Amino acid sequence: MNNEIPVQTLGGQGEVMAHAVDACVHCGFCLPACPTYALLGDEMDSPRGRIVLMKEVLEGGLPLADAAPHLDRCLGCQACVTACPSGVPYGELITAFRGWSEPQRQRSAFDRSKRWAILKALPAPKLFSVAARVGQFAKPLAPVLPAALRGPLDLLPETVPAMQPSPKVTPARGVQRGRVAFLVGCAQQALAPNFNAATLRVLARNGIEVVIPDGQGCCGAAALHTGARDEALKLVRANLDAFHPDDFDAILSNAAGCGAGLKEYPMVLHGEPDEARAKAFAAKVMDISEYLNTLLQHGELEPPVPASRPLTVAYHDACHLAHAQGVRAAPRALLRAIPGVTVLEVPEGDLCCGSAGTYNLEQPELAGQLGARKAKNILSTTPDLIASGNIGCHTQIQSHVRRQGSPTPVLHTIEILDRAYRGEL
Amino acid sequence: MSTEKLALTTNSGARKPASAGGASTALAADLTRALGPRKVLSNLSERLNYRYDAIQFGATPLAVVLPESTEDVVAAVRAARAAGVPIVGRGAASGLSGGAAPLEPGLVISFTRMTRLSIHPERREATAQAGVVTLAVTEAAKPHGLIYPPDPASFRTSTIGGNLAENAGGPMCFKYGVSGDYVRALEFVDVDGELHRLTRDVFDLAGLLIGSEGTLGLITEATLRLIPPPKFTRTLMAHFPEVGACAEAVSRAIAAGAVPSKLEFMDRACTNAVEDYLHLGLPRDAEAVLLVDTDGEDLDTVQDELRLVEEACVASGGTVRRAATDEEGALLWRARRSVSPALGRIRPQRMNEDIVVPRSALPDVVREIRALGDASPFPVVQFGHIGDGNLHPNILFDPRREDAHAVHDLAHRIALVAIRHGGVLSGEHGIGSMKRDFMRDAVDPETLAALRGVKRALDSSGALNPGKILPAEEVMVDG
Ligand SMILES: Cc1cc2nc3c(=O)[nH]c(=O)nc-3n(C[C@H](O)[C@H](O)[C@H](O)COP(=O)(O)OP(=O)(O)OC[C@H]3O[C@@H](n4cnc5c(N)ncnc54)[C@H](O)[C@@H]3O)c2cc1C
Ligand code: SF4
Ligand code: SF4
Repeated sequence: MNNEIPVQTLGGQGEVMAHAVDACVHCGFCLPACPTYALLGDEMDSPRGRIVLMKEVLEGGLPLADAAPHLDRCLGCQACVTACPSGVPYGELITAFRGWSEPQRQRSAFDRSKRWAILKALPAPKLFSVAARVGQFAKPLAPVLPAALRGPLDLLPETVPAMQPSPKVTPARGVQRGRVAFLVGCAQQALAPNFNAATLRVLARNGIEVVIPDGQGCCGAAALHTGARDEALKLVRANLDAFHPDDFDAILSNAAGCGAGLKEYPMVLHGEPDEARAKAFAAKVMDISEYLNTLLQHGELEPPVPASRPLTVAYHDACHLAHAQGVRAAPRALLRAIPGVTVLEVPEGDLCCGSAGTYNLEQPELAGQLGARKAKNILSTTPDLIASGNIGCHTQIQSHVRRQGSPTPVLHTIEILDRAYRGEL
Repeated sequence: MSTEKLALTTNSGARKPASAGGASTALAADLTRALGPRKVLSNLSERLNYRYDAIQFGATPLAVVLPESTEDVVAAVRAARAAGVPIVGRGAASGLSGGAAPLEPGLVISFTRMTRLSIHPERREATAQAGVVTLAVTEAAKPHGLIYPPDPASFRTSTIGGNLAENAGGPMCFKYGVSGDYVRALEFVDVDGELHRLTRDVFDLAGLLIGSEGTLGLITEATLRLIPPPKFTRTLMAHFPEVGACAEAVSRAIAAGAVPSKLEFMDRACTNAVEDYLHLGLPRDAEAVLLVDTDGEDLDTVQDELRLVEEACVASGGTVRRAATDEEGALLWRARRSVSPALGRIRPQRMNEDIVVPRSALPDVVREIRALGDASPFPVVQFGHIGDGNLHPNILFDPRREDAHAVHDLAHRIALVAIRHGGVLSGEHGIGSMKRDFMRDAVDPETLAALRGVKRALDSSGALNPGKILPAEEVMVDG
């Protein structure tokens, strides 16, 4: 799309944005992929419409405040990226745009403090754990609270587990075949410590030594995608200091959102002195399922113990795995590698579950509609288990599946593999 | 701004009508009174998003209505008429001729929320509101053992209303026909806000509305014919060292008696653009790729036909690969459907033609266009439903660095190649504003006058999608 974005005044991020706008031929192929377009049916809440709005704001033809409501409704799910044949990097555009525009936003004091709390709590597992516990006590009050506060409470699981510190080094069992660094994640440590425990066990079982480097922190994705660019840059640089890509075969994440965030570092630092370092780092980043799948494909994956009975698993594609990272086949292949497991495809599988980072907190209405739709679609396959590779999807799907009266367990892909190895499936 | 300039820009030049603010709010207030606030868009941020289609940006509308029923359309049209502003209908805005891009500020009626659809298997019919996405019709019909064959490459996005307004075609059209062939009845709202229901008996007025690009009336609902799907389908891909050879193979195959259900052609640049997107292992070095489906009730016949095509391809110097599985076939078709937007990877903008020529002239036409492209500074690519003689030569360009007039001039010369070989300007994408000025070359003055007469009869005030299809009348100069 032809544009007059003043790239010179916008720096490296300006180039990122102008390139994305340029590449869009406004064909509309992305429309049917977009969850907000599916719900609202108007052009401003479609990917193509949002690209036009961002272009107009960047060119100075439209006040930011007018475009903001529509841009805020974007989940950042990147389903539009998968759908776009012209190769428009929409994810980079919206992320860069949010970073550029946030300092100019006028937000209410309430909004600002809510965002501040989210941004502080998410990257700090301990703080998050405490907040989550406080939230537990507030849960019974939910019906009388304003919607903006109800959203976050809905998200919390029934019980908040105790924190489990992870060992700095987990040695390989048997012959050592590899050595990886692992990003432990933040909210996930508080909400689902078993994801990490299972990950370490499965990797060790496969002869992989796992190091959790000191000084690592939040991947920065939440800050970046809500527009807190300075905050995000601090986190990004801390991780670049903590992880030394040359020391490891891979840098692993088991949370789709974090993995996608790590892979975005070169874009975040485009045109800055750390860009080369970010590229070297990102080149090593893999989702846990991708890494294990390479073992599987080379016939080196430790064979899982067969399930004790035939099991159907509905696999949910997390947007940040399927769309942002293009990882679809690997988790399915791992699940299928467990004798007795059948993987089910979910209708409307490409449509976001509505969790998308902080979306539940910022757009509770739309998030709720998408969550309910996702749960209905998943349950229509009548699975024994539900699997996904992302903590956000996990909590969202669990909460909506329960609300629809189903006790079906929702697990991380790696938990299912772990259970198989332990003969508990 | 001249049409020519408009046609070639996606820029914001036309976006802010100088004094539209007052008119915009007055119209929006009237509409809101009639329809309620949820269906009326009046903020600039909202209106800005209804000024383009897939090829062109036009003027920012004064207001946008998102009707949910035929009554809403009637109310909106009446309000626009009372305000004396033009009306542009809009589906998914995937159009490639500027049809849904307003040339002057007015009311845009966007049908995307009119999505009611019902299937009547006993009558082999579907009743679809204008905003139903094309693919949805076939998906809803499938459980009843029926399909809706018209399949423009945009079928996941485009709407039935837009398809009928453009009389959209698709790969299936060689054997099964185009959108208009599947219409049993139409409901439409005329320029005065009167509602009409048309069947195709006596005067085929429905046929008049089909392909009229929103210039004669607004389609609100259609009754569509459904058919049982063919039992067997087989797919092959052939590639050729020269584009004309590919066109020869097509003529040969059809002359030999094959009636493939789909016959699609893409040239080297297209194949490479798609390969960059889908990584299917398409032959990057081939000058032309042909995709063919044969289908039918009887597997032997289907395979015999495929063999006829295979032999024709080989005789013309092609290399043939049969799709081993249905999945492989489906992937190849996905490749073909992605051609058009994937070209965005080469240059940000394109001028898109949609010519149809007699099949016998295909090899010459394809070669002549290739030569025009090679002699020009622009990448020119070709693809299309070649079985019908339908070609889409596209001129790719970068409006910031390249001269829009040179693009327009080349497009004109390509159009003239088609006309010289007995062809027409549009096979399926419509004339819109993109090819409006070429109409004088393609249609004789008497026919043009007759078309103007039809327009006057149905829309005397010229309020429906002004500036589309028909070039401005020439001022007669005495002497
Ligand atoms: C990548 C790509 C591939 C394409 N491939 C094909 C193809 O293979 N074959 C093909 O034929 N076309 C193709 N097209 C063109 C386009 O998709 C078709 O013309 C389609 O029919 C337009 O439908 P739409 O809903 O997007 O209509 P729009 O683009 O919104 O509108 C098209 C025209 O119809 C009018 N209109 C829309 N709705 C109504 C209504 N309810 N009543 C009256 N008038 C109305 C508009 O005013 C406009 O003039 C392609 C487009 C793209 C971007
Ligand atoms: S599919 Fe890609 S090129 Fe087409 S409108 Fe969407 S983002 Fe733009
Ligand atoms: S990222 Fe998701 S919600 Fe946002 S525009 Fe793309 S498809 Fe729509």
